Amino acid sequence: MKEIIIGLIAGVIGGLGMGGGTILILLLSIFMGIEQHIAQGANVIFFIPTSIAAICVFLKNKNIKFKIAIPICIWGLVGTGIGAVVSSKLNVNILRKCFGVFLLIIAIYQIYSLYKTYRKEKNRNNTIKYKKGGNI
Amino acid sequence: MKKVLIGIIVGIISGMFAAGGGLLLVPVYTYILKLDEKDARATSLFCILPMVILTAIIYAHNNFIDWNLGIKCALGGIIGGFLGGKLLNKISNKYLQIIFIIFLIYAGINMITR
Repeated sequence: MKEIIIGLIAGVIGGLGMGGGTILILLLSIFMGIEQHIAQGANVIFFIPTSIAAICVFLKNKNIKFKIAIPICIWGLVGTGIGAVVSSKLNVNILRKCFGVFLLIIAIYQIYSLYKTYRKEKNRNNTIKYKKGGNI
Repeated sequence: MKKVLIGIIVGIISGMFAAGGGLLLVPVYTYILKLDEKDARATSLFCILPMVILTAIIYAHNNFIDWNLGIKCALGGIIGGFLGGKLLNKISNKYLQIIFIIFLIYAGINMITR
């Protein structure tokens, strides 16, 4: 039951476009004490059906840009092969620490992106105020 | 050339952690390749699926797949994904992003120090 609830939470986050897989791995490892490799393996199985459903919707709405997607996907597979083999050979503790560093990098980027939207909003509000002032 | 590098880097991360591909690809698509947000999400998901399938094969070969656990998570995930899609645009992204950031920092430190 716990697994289904964790999947549900990760699914909601993923549906909102914020890294459902990352959350799934974290919840499994923090709240259920599941080993990093197995948690990552669960995410792979979690991702396939959930993403296929979303991809079908996106295909219908013509949101997928194939010209960009195909070369990145092909080179991505080369990288994936390297990454997955390295990950399989890595000691669990080291893999977990690397994942932690990766999460902090993502956090820093998210803070930057939040700051950028904040600046944009502020600028837009200022322009509106300025325009209103101009009309008076 | 740009696409080769982007592909390889995202692939390595995706294979290594079996996650985070989308977190990297969506900003790359919006900022470097100038796609709008929805197209960026759609295109990244489409790119990542084959990578995840390859990761699944390699992980399964190394006995890292617990099918019982994976399928239960996926079951919740399908329902959750549907709910998330419905909630999109209904709740403020800003507060959600702040919660997400706090959680990432907490989890990141937890993973490093444990």
